[in-house]
Amino acid sequence: MLSEGAKREIGALRARYPVAQSALLPALLRVQEELGWVPPEAMAEVGRLLDLPVEVVAEVASFYSLIFTEPVGRHVVQVCTNVSCLLSGAEAVRERVERELGVRAGQTTPDRRVTLLAVECLAACDQAPCMLVDERRYGPLTPEAAARLVRELD
Amino acid sequence: MSGEPLSTVTLTIDGRTVTVPRGTTVYHAARQVGIEIPIFCYHDRMPPLGACRMCFVQVERMPRLQTSCTLEAQEGMVVWTESPEVVEARRAILEFLLINHPLDCPICDKGGECPLQDNTFKYGPGASRFVEPKRHFPKALRLSPVLTLDRERCILCWRCTRFGEVVAGDHALKGHDRGYRTHIDTPPVTLERPSKFIGNTIAICPVGALTSGVYRFRARPWDNRPTPAVCTHCGVGCATWVDARGGEVVRVRAREKPEVNDIWLCDLGFFGYDYTNHPERLRVPYVRQDGVLREATWDEALERVARALERAAPRIGALGGERLTVEEAYLLGRLFRALGSNHVDARADSRFAPSPRDWVWGAGPFEALDTAAGVFLVGCDLTEEYPVLWLRLKRALDRGAVGLAVAPKRLEVEGYLHAAVVHQYGAEADVLYAVARLLAERQGSVTGPLREVDVDASCRRAGVPREAVERLAQYLPAAAPVLLAVGRLSWDGPEPERTLAAVQTLRAVCGGDLWLLRGKGNAVGALLAGLAPDTLPGLVPLDHAEARERLRGVWGFEPPREVGLAAPAMLEAAAAGQLRVLYVAGADPARDFPDGSLWQRARAGLELLVVTELFWTETARQADVVLPALSSFERPGTVVNLEGRPQRVAPSRMGPPGARADGDILQLLAERLGRPMDYGSVEAIWEELRRVAPGLELDRPYGFTRPQPEVDVRPAQPHDPGEGLVVVPASPLFRKGEMSSRCRGLPDLAGDAAVGVHPGDAAALSLTDGRVVEVDTGAASARVPVAVTDAVPPGHLLVPVGFPEFPRARWAASGRRLRARIRVLEPAGRESR
Amino acid sequence: MPEPVLLRHVREPDQADIHGYERRGGYTGLRRALRELSPEQVTDLVDRAQLRGRGGAGFPTGRKWKFVPKDAPVKYLVVNADEGEPGTFKDRTLLEGDPHLLVEGIALAAYANGVRTAYVYMRREFYQARRQLEKAIAQAYERGYLGQGILGTDFSLDVYVHPGAGAYIAGEETALLESLEGKRAMPRLKPPYFPAVMGLYNKPTVLNNVETLCCVPWIIREGPEWWLEQGPPQLYSVSGHVNSPQVVEAPLGTTARELIERAGGMRGGRRVKAFYPGGTSSRPLPARHLDVPLRHEELAKLGSMLGSAAVIVMDETTDMVKVIARVCEFYREESCGKCTPCREGTVWVTQILDRILHGRGRPEDLDLLASLARNMTGTCFCPLGESVPPSLRAGLEDFRDEFEAYIRAAREPVQMPVRLHLGAPAPGG
Ligand SMILES: Cc1cc2nc3c(=O)[nH]c(=O)nc-3n(C[C@H](O)[C@H](O)[C@H](O)COP(=O)(O)O)c2cc1C
Ligand code: SF4
Ligand code: FES
Repeated sequence: MLSEGAKREIGALRARYPVAQSALLPALLRVQEELGWVPPEAMAEVGRLLDLPVEVVAEVASFYSLIFTEPVGRHVVQVCTNVSCLLSGAEAVRERVERELGVRAGQTTPDRRVTLLAVECLAACDQAPCMLVDERRYGPLTPEAAARLVRELD
Repeated sequence: MSGEPLSTVTLTIDGRTVTVPRGTTVYHAARQVGIEIPIFCYHDRMPPLGACRMCFVQVERMPRLQTSCTLEAQEGMVVWTESPEVVEARRAILEFLLINHPLDCPICDKGGECPLQDNTFKYGPGASRFVEPKRHFPKALRLSPVLTLDRERCILCWRCTRFGEVVAGDHALKGHDRGYRTHIDTPPVTLERPSKFIGNTIAICPVGALTSGVYRFRARPWDNRPTPAVCTHCGVGCATWVDARGGEVVRVRAREKPEVNDIWLCDLGFFGYDYTNHPERLRVPYVRQDGVLREATWDEALERVARALERAAPRIGALGGERLTVEEAYLLGRLFRALGSNHVDARADSRFAPSPRDWVWGAGPFEALDTAAGVFLVGCDLTEEYPVLWLRLKRALDRGAVGLAVAPKRLEVEGYLHAAVVHQYGAEADVLYAVARLLAERQGSVTGPLREVDVDASCRRAGVPREAVERLAQYLPAAAPVLLAVGRLSWDGPEPERTLAAVQTLRAVCGGDLWLLRGKGNAVGALLAGLAPDTLPGLVPLDHAEARERLRGVWGFEPPREVGLAAPAMLEAAAAGQLRVLYVAGADPARDFPDGSLWQRARAGLELLVVTELFWTETARQADVVLPALSSFERPGTVVNLEGRPQRVAPSRMGPPGARADGDILQLLAERLGRPMDYGSVEAIWEELRRVAPGLELDRPYGFTRPQPEVDVRPAQPHDPGEGLVVVPASPLFRKGEMSSRCRGLPDLAGDAAVGVHPGDAAALSLTDGRVVEVDTGAASARVPVAVTDAVPPGHLLVPVGFPEFPRARWAASGRRLRARIRVLEPAGRESR
Repeated sequence: MPEPVLLRHVREPDQADIHGYERRGGYTGLRRALRELSPEQVTDLVDRAQLRGRGGAGFPTGRKWKFVPKDAPVKYLVVNADEGEPGTFKDRTLLEGDPHLLVEGIALAAYANGVRTAYVYMRREFYQARRQLEKAIAQAYERGYLGQGILGTDFSLDVYVHPGAGAYIAGEETALLESLEGKRAMPRLKPPYFPAVMGLYNKPTVLNNVETLCCVPWIIREGPEWWLEQGPPQLYSVSGHVNSPQVVEAPLGTTARELIERAGGMRGGRRVKAFYPGGTSSRPLPARHLDVPLRHEELAKLGSMLGSAAVIVMDETTDMVKVIARVCEFYREESCGKCTPCREGTVWVTQILDRILHGRGRPEDLDLLASLARNMTGTCFCPLGESVPPSLRAGLEDFRDEFEAYIRAAREPVQMPVRLHLGAPAPGG
């Protein structure tokens, strides 16, 4: 189910470490870049590529909150809700984005456009309240600005 | 640490002085003076984890409470295990553990033998301060056919997951997710094979989270009557406790025996007991009349057997022994010798039956693994054949021993080995000769016949890249003296003699002991008790004057002088009309003797076939007299494992009314034949056996001696290429045999039979996983799904013998290679899974 | 106020480029070390500069390096760029603005400790920082600051960036190593797993925070005395109710009042109610401590700590119950689940706080919380679980009236505790 390119890259990742298992997180992230999430069959495939039992792949994948073991939307929006952002109005931002998308944090829009996550401190408290839209960080945000950002996602 | 002088430290615990070896934990030091510290996550067969925080102690001059399971005792330490702080902390930990625990002890299987329950009584909080809603998980989850998990009861001690990592290495159970969402689980994909050791996790779970899918709700611990016994499913001979309730065996548990199974069992041992309670057990004798088997009285049946034996003697033979006790095997041998026949053989399922003087089945003490520098498995699928031995081997590998293997299929544990070579079926000798030659080259002395070995040609014949063989040779020096363990894949292979010669050649170069891992249950014991055509009890040669004299003393007669026939020869003789009565005790040669057509001809040539059995096996159905026997749970005696170690078994239940122990049957027959074998008790038989078979001592490995190795290079048998795929007959641990198919859970563990095809062949034949095919050897055929797997080399077909579709008699023609053709049955395009 | 050191060039647009970095004196520390100093001398300079770890524990860096066995054939350097402590954003600022500073720090630390392979464990969310650092590493390879035979010496070093995948606990050093080994980020048992002697792949491992390593090039370039004269320089992440939250570089021991000033003063001119001096793992302090020097020793005396020097400022309008509940929730979500008190305690505490916030608090809840705080102190496997009690204690001691107000306003009837019932008789029990 993985592309040849991904398999090759995972092979190359493996070479960075004296122990193949070290390449597991990078490999899972690479899978995620390709498929959006890490389906069970991909876990098995990564296990084969890294000589790891699928049991190990699954236990590790399930530990990390940014390895998605369930399908996610085309975009992942992470709204920080930790203290510094909270003090700067993160609740309003989150509520506004929820309203905009029509889903609660932790959910994906029915059209699979956006998965919204309420997350812990993004280490960007100088931009509180802030959020990550896929790989880009935005902040400080007003609720409206945040709503506009997610509205414009395709 | 090695090298450091062995020293001790002295500390005080609760005011008592204790001296322990350096490196001992405070927890163990406390135990040594009888101070019990409560634990959950710690288990003494695994390194400490320090996760549950139950085992706190207070140590003077240390700032915080310490977990005693992880804390190394130091000279002069002053430890308190019951200080107010400790008591308070323990109560706090128990309170934390209990807030989300359902406290459903009255309906929990663990109730009454639950460490959480016990510790709560002893150390727990009185009243709960927890008024919040408890954490909920879906109730009792069936993780496997034999394993049920109740996550709400789980206290996340990590014992089960660490068992899979540290002890079994199969990673069967894992913690998923994290924090308060953590739960034990299996991965979200269909697994190729179930764990073989999951029962142990049930045993070590300190709460009722992991329970047996088979035992669940069947009994409460205080109702069970435990009996010490020995598992006889394979030849390891694990010590067990058998729990019976109301005459039914409800559970089997491991009994601690460090030399054999330590505290573990495999799942065949854990869950393979229900057959003994099964309603289909034979309860009356049957005799054939006018071509059909009909019920008969014992009197009638025994009379028929006795008269036939009397008439045909000495052209009579006896087969079997693995299901018997060693005492019963001894009686069987004695009776037949009294009737003038040496045609007795315990190896009822082997076509290769050299003299046990040279090649007796059996192993050195298992404990040799604990110190072995290396282990070399030859055609030995250890986890399928002798699973608990793997646990000991894994321990050895973890300690740094070198693990090597050659086999015609990939081994489940190959990832733990240093080098594992998969070769063409039957070509292990080529690999071994090549390794021996390379090693000799390294040692600078290629002498004698080894000079004839052409490494490249051998590799080619074995279908193995030279580098793979070089790797073996490269690791061998570090593994020497290596323990060579030859298994069934080789013993039953096409050229076992050549394989043994090659093994000996290798041994001559690198030294080390040789184990022949073959035989189940009491098979080795039966050989030692004299059930072999050319040896007397104790593996003494038939013509040993002193031994004969001794036997005459106790038996009142001497055994016949002429060497008897081994199992295959017996069948040949029967087929030729030269052997007239065959007495089969607890064996099923019609299915298991690896030459079905020979068996059929033998059957046809026999005047009378007698079978003692538990169920209507194939052999029983073909018999003229069927005698209902007792199972290993139902009679006392001694069984001998692969080490030649006799262990006592006590009966845990009464057999079905009407069935009799094999020993009793033999005594009754002997009486009818006017050659009484009167022993007042099993104990008396054992004592006599000990006298005539020196070396047999309760609980001691026998001490097999192996012939001196010599370099002996034999040319490979030419084999024609033929059509189709070469059959690799492998017997999986979980299969659907007469007994295992009658045990709850085990048939599900076995799953459905499927043949393994290499991806390359699968592509060539346009086969996908799950496609149903017909496999046909010409002599036998079966319709089964295909499993695409690189477990076998290209050109091979992995056949799971022991499944009803694949009787060994038809699919394991040892002594030659079978080829099977594959025909696709289902329309193409349908992919399952 | 001395000129900033660590932040001196972060805002220069071309500082992330090797030419900009070199032009401003970059890599002179490395050159000097390779030319003039033995590895031991580099360590000595760091030791004399009294550099203390900036990741949270504040352990003296020179001492840490001296624990690393000299003669071990294989050693690793691991950079902690997981920056997860709420309120902390200084490492990200350095990584995005001055990545070569870290690369140089890595090279120096590797040289000092005889390391040939370094991994930078960086939290997944640092996309921008990762791009910057990877570019810097590539440039450094090109210019011979990394790779084989660095600057013509026989010192060689490879550096890889390794992504985290969403787990605060992976910032804890032993959990980080587990994670880097491709496992669940669960802390290891100490002893025997002290990273300096048994770290990555059980080999001796130097493990340092980004900021810590960014100090090293300056110390080597300018000398320890100069370094100490500068303060020594310390990065404080100042956030919350201040006008312009930012990383402030100030001498170690600067007070919160001064830092708030430097961050533009209080929003809306409101008064300070409280502040976290060292991230949410530290005990938050009421406004009366605004003039305490934010230094390890002084803060320890107050039952708090400098931690990652993340100063989160809360004004008089702040609902402390809500903030503390949110902080506890953070630890609940980020607990790895290995040990009992952390896994279960964080859940219980947040359940109670949540109930209080939702108008269902009971008077006895405050004693219960105090007791749970006690029961989670000194009992957890690692410091994560023990990060809950400081906030709780501050809440119950310094802001008790706010909790009581919630409870007075509670509407729901108070539930009675239930008795444990353990049904079946235990044999002999
Ligand atoms: C729960 C927990 C989380 C931590 N998170 C981080 C982190 O994100 N970044 C960091 O540098 N140190 C973090 N630390 C501190 C590290 O364990 C370690 O002390 C530090 O990285 C050592 O580097 P230093 O000596 O240079 O400070 C954390 C510690 C704990 C207990
Ligand atoms: S299931 Fe049992 S053994 Fe496994 S973690 Fe839970 S309590 Fe421990
Ligand atoms: S038994 Fe010591 S921490 Fe669990």
